[in-house]
Amino acid sequence: MSGTPVTETTLERVEQSEHLGRWSGKSIPRKEDRRLLQGQGTFTDDGGHIHMGYAQFVRSPYAHARILSVDTARAEALDGVYATLTGAEVKELTAPFFQIAPEPGGKIAEYCLAVDKVRYQGDAVAVVLADSRETARDAAELVEVEYEPLPVVVDSIAAAAPDAPILHDEVGSNVVWHGVYDYGDVEWALQEADHVVKIDRLHFHRFSSTPLECNAAVVNWDPGTGIVEIFSNNQMPMFASLVIGPALGIPSNSLLFRSQDIGGAFGIKIGSYPQITALALLSRKAGRAAKWTEYRTDHMQSAGQGNERTFRNIEVPVMSDGTILGFKVEAFDDAGAYLHYEPLGAVIWSQVVPGCYKLKHIQVDFTETVSNKCPTIPNRGYSRLQHLWMIERVIDIVAHELGFDPVALRKTNYVQPEDYPYRTPNGCVYDSGDLPRALDMALAAIDYPSWRQRQQELGTGSGKRIGIGIGTTLDSGTNNFGQARIINPDLPFSGNGEAAYVKLDLYGEVNVNLGTTPQGQSHETTAAQVVADILGMSPDAVSVSVGFDARHNTYVAFSGTYASQFAVTGLGAAMGAAEKLRAEIIKVAAYALGAEEEEIELNDGSAYVRGDEERAIPFIGIANLVYSNVAALAPEIADSVSLNCRHVYRPPFEIPDTETKTGNLTLTYASQTHACVLELDEDTGAVEILDYAVADDCGRVINPSIVTGQVHGATAHGIGAALWETFEYDEDGQLQQSSFYDYHAVTALDVPHIKTSHLESPSPFTPNGAKGMGEGGGAPLHAICSALQDALGEGAPVVAESHNHWERIYRLLHPESGALRGVEVRSR
Amino acid sequence: MLLESVEYVRPESVDEALRALGAVDGAAVLAGGQSLLNVLKNRVASVEVLVDISRLPELGTIERGADGSLAVGACVTYDELDRSADVRQGHMVLADVAGHIEDQQIRNRGTIGGNCCLGDPTNNLPPLLIALGATMNIQSASGIRQVAAEEFFFAFFSTAVQQGEILRSITIPAIAPGAGVGYQSLAVAADSKAIVRASAYVRANGTIEDSRVVLSVVGPRPIRHTGMEGRLRGAAATAEAVAAASEAIGDDIEPASDAHGSADYRRRMARVVARRAVDEAIARGASR
Amino acid sequence: MSDSGTAHAVEVTINGERYERTVLARQLLVHLLRDTLGLRGTHIGCDTGNCGACTIICDGKLIKSCMMLAVQADGAEIETVEGLAADGELTTLQKAFNEHHGLQCGYCTPGILMSATYLLRHNPNPAEAEIRRAIRGNLCRCTGYVHIVESIRAAAASAAEEAAR
Repeated sequence: MSGTPVTETTLERVEQSEHLGRWSGKSIPRKEDRRLLQGQGTFTDDGGHIHMGYAQFVRSPYAHARILSVDTARAEALDGVYATLTGAEVKELTAPFFQIAPEPGGKIAEYCLAVDKVRYQGDAVAVVLADSRETARDAAELVEVEYEPLPVVVDSIAAAAPDAPILHDEVGSNVVWHGVYDYGDVEWALQEADHVVKIDRLHFHRFSSTPLECNAAVVNWDPGTGIVEIFSNNQMPMFASLVIGPALGIPSNSLLFRSQDIGGAFGIKIGSYPQITALALLSRKAGRAAKWTEYRTDHMQSAGQGNERTFRNIEVPVMSDGTILGFKVEAFDDAGAYLHYEPLGAVIWSQVVPGCYKLKHIQVDFTETVSNKCPTIPNRGYSRLQHLWMIERVIDIVAHELGFDPVALRKTNYVQPEDYPYRTPNGCVYDSGDLPRALDMALAAIDYPSWRQRQQELGTGSGKRIGIGIGTTLDSGTNNFGQARIINPDLPFSGNGEAAYVKLDLYGEVNVNLGTTPQGQSHETTAAQVVADILGMSPDAVSVSVGFDARHNTYVAFSGTYASQFAVTGLGAAMGAAEKLRAEIIKVAAYALGAEEEEIELNDGSAYVRGDEERAIPFIGIANLVYSNVAALAPEIADSVSLNCRHVYRPPFEIPDTETKTGNLTLTYASQTHACVLELDEDTGAVEILDYAVADDCGRVINPSIVTGQVHGATAHGIGAALWETFEYDEDGQLQQSSFYDYHAVTALDVPHIKTSHLESPSPFTPNGAKGMGEGGGAPLHAICSALQDALGEGAPVVAESHNHWERIYRLLHPESGALRGVEVRSR
Repeated sequence: MLLESVEYVRPESVDEALRALGAVDGAAVLAGGQSLLNVLKNRVASVEVLVDISRLPELGTIERGADGSLAVGACVTYDELDRSADVRQGHMVLADVAGHIEDQQIRNRGTIGGNCCLGDPTNNLPPLLIALGATMNIQSASGIRQVAAEEFFFAFFSTAVQQGEILRSITIPAIAPGAGVGYQSLAVAADSKAIVRASAYVRANGTIEDSRVVLSVVGPRPIRHTGMEGRLRGAAATAEAVAAASEAIGDDIEPASDAHGSADYRRRMARVVARRAVDEAIARGASR
Repeated sequence: MSDSGTAHAVEVTINGERYERTVLARQLLVHLLRDTLGLRGTHIGCDTGNCGACTIICDGKLIKSCMMLAVQADGAEIETVEGLAADGELTTLQKAFNEHHGLQCGYCTPGILMSATYLLRHNPNPAEAEIRRAIRGNLCRCTGYVHIVESIRAAAASAAEEAAR
């Protein structure tokens, strides 16, 4: 039994900008498109440096081995090779990477190349730099590495066992974090319940969003200035700087990150900081820039994969009227061989402790281990989708076992529209929403009653089955980084923020810089929309700098693009900066026009006196007064305006309580409700998607077309993961899917037409009523598993895996006689 | 994703190609390259000299004989098979199968010869060619020899084509009156990699008179399942009889286990696709 | 017969412009386009010819330029994304993508545009199933394909309207 939170978090409704409306809310076509449609985007491999070299990493074929020797002589002798770098050198030159985990996990000594041991197939042991891609590739094969293979562990629960092979000797165990999250009184609830549904095991698999563009970087350690220039597609450059700086022993302002166009990232491109560190050393050693363009095979093996989580011994107390009191579960998260951003996954899920439901009594015993697999990275939906999937499976299985209608059971237990803002058992606040209506919309879009009828008419014996599934999910956005302290109380992290800069340039042009690293989320367009609204002009006249550049000095520690937050943090910052600029323009205009500030309006690039439009001054005139004609401006005004306005949007967070593991961990909660219809072939287990609908609620929508596009993309990723996309390792730690030949990324023939509808429950806590969205929350996984369970019918085994390829579905349809179903009900 | 250093030559006739192939042990044929280039990019195998035959006109023709047979040049692409009026007239199943190999880009370059000669057990055309009773025409310096399709495929990279030889063309007999050919795959996804395949030729007249039942992705090479063929002979051309005959497929086949399916699953699915291929062959034969 | 060798002179015409270069036999066509000729609109997304980011039109045929050697393109007429818009005037197809939000990160877009161009040349009024089949060889990880299909359909409809006028 846990106590109530020590601090009560108060969240005030935020005053929302009165200026949004002319452009915000419209599906204006994108500014990004002109260059991208003509092949004029600048992606990282398009960039370079004079006299640069091309880098190729040498990677371990073994999942676990001692490195006995690394000999680069033959590689260096190859004509055209500039330099090589090995783990032994790196150990001398750098400090191990900063670790988020508390001890003993925090004792992991990870360097940018493997030192002494390799711990997963694909672990980099050396890197070569050469005059061409081909030479680098050939030279990498000439690096001779002697390995002594060690026993391999590829399962999280096995890794936690006392006799497991240990990956990091300095830690002495494979358990890098353990904690119990305890809210309400689950033991009481289990006693009190009319039924307890016990589910043996649910398993959420490894997969990745596999962005079409792989990681890449051009790194130049300038010998003259000592500055390390990094042109890359890393999506969280400030986090990377925080980690790389101390490793290289250089100040953070010696790392200058820049990115331009990025070909998708989905969280995977958070993880390139080790390679960038190695490239920096290589560049310094070789005296020239180092360019690295990751091959797809390397990407699959080593860029990063999503969290794999095993849930076991799940107990669910349920009342006869369908009220679900909560649940108790053991969770094992597999972080892979190194902790890149982990073990934050062990707390991030708690942004959505009860899922979409009013569950009050919840206990999660959470263990995170390392294993001889690719390191985990925050793949789209990071840590929440695993937890939300588990909860949706629970709802679904409870409905099946106890005979509740799946729609009614959800509506009984949903957080209701009148409950918002809703405080969850661990102190998070769900800002707004209307889940029952969203469910109705999704079901209406597929004409649910009609499919139920067809399902009945189909009956048995045709060789086909129809399954109808529901998946409700949350996309929590704008993190409070203070939740890291729940993992490790010594971490000096909390809150969040994003920076933006809006200015009038010399001739009055409006320019916006952002601290974000967009990878397709249309930041240039949506930022232009809100700035255009605030400054009273067309978005076409608002110029937004492409990509991220540290030289713009528009960043904070959390800058980047990840975690479903741009509409709140990025646009919040842009709006704040635009409001500041608006105020300055009005101040100068009032002076120039001899009017009161309250009388000034802005329209179409001009400031004028309301009711007397002849009295006007264009922005070029405002700029002139401040820049080149400043003696013509009153001194007190000249001293107080610059037309260069920077704003950091800071969401109102407090530091969570690490004792009780409570606090307000995320600012906004978008929701998606998915309904799908599957047809199963009984003879083979193969599945076809017959109908698919999504109802999306991300609060106030700035650009509907862009939001819909994000919903489609997240849906496609989820469908892919549910039926086709998986990373599996054999018992020797060999990855079975290291190319698109084996890893079936979904095509236009696999993803069905997605019917999308929207509702808008504005967030009271954001400056524009919008909620972050984009990750999606993995609802296709929930909905497809639900549809499979529906097709399997009564008495079938539970759908316990998040990934269901044809054979697995076949086995569910045709279980061995006497096989366990994986679920048991104990009733009063 | 980058090839090792390699030499390249483009002969201007089949004879020149044979000389180039015979000159060096490490010489290999390059046609469409849709399989071979992957092998070379991923450095799974290496080749010293690539002999590019993709532009040789004598290898790119499709001819329909007066008897309804087809002579297909080894460098005919999947797309050409899909769109050829000659193919569609009497061998629609070949156009259908070729037209669903992966995607348009691959179909524009991939060749029937390459699909056969690389010996990848998951390839689409070999089981169909065996079911069709095709003959492979192999040319060497000493002339052209014939090998029945069912004796052509050995294993990955290994076929009846020897060093210094080239597959010149494939002869496909007309499908006899009253006969039909079926083709069924269980694939990972639409137009994608096969988990298991079956192709069947059946001549029936209420009763099954003759058949060829071919399974692939059940071992290193496509095989005729003579056990099932035996049960089909003289059986009624009905779904029930075909299903019963498919029970002959059992432990006699030893498919591989991999991420897409276990050996046991492939064995069970081989029965399913074989049954469906035979049903399809019967249906197509009945409608001719 | 040409000489056997590791390097070869090739001549290619790309978007109407003729180039002569010496290439290594092992060089892929996509690297000739990107690295040798600086035409960076054609992209690379995988190692196995599955993703289609490198799709171009070569001698009138839609192909993946990572699955062809540069030397095999000797004498070829090649069309890439850079050749679609003349003098910055977007084509009907490109405009449709802009109007219907058919791209997000833009990395797959050049390949998709070439596949759509090829489709509409051969089939000016395609049904949805035909559109999806035509882009089966182009992976997109951002859009879920829905707006791409819509953009191509809209482009076909616009082109039909323009032709009718």
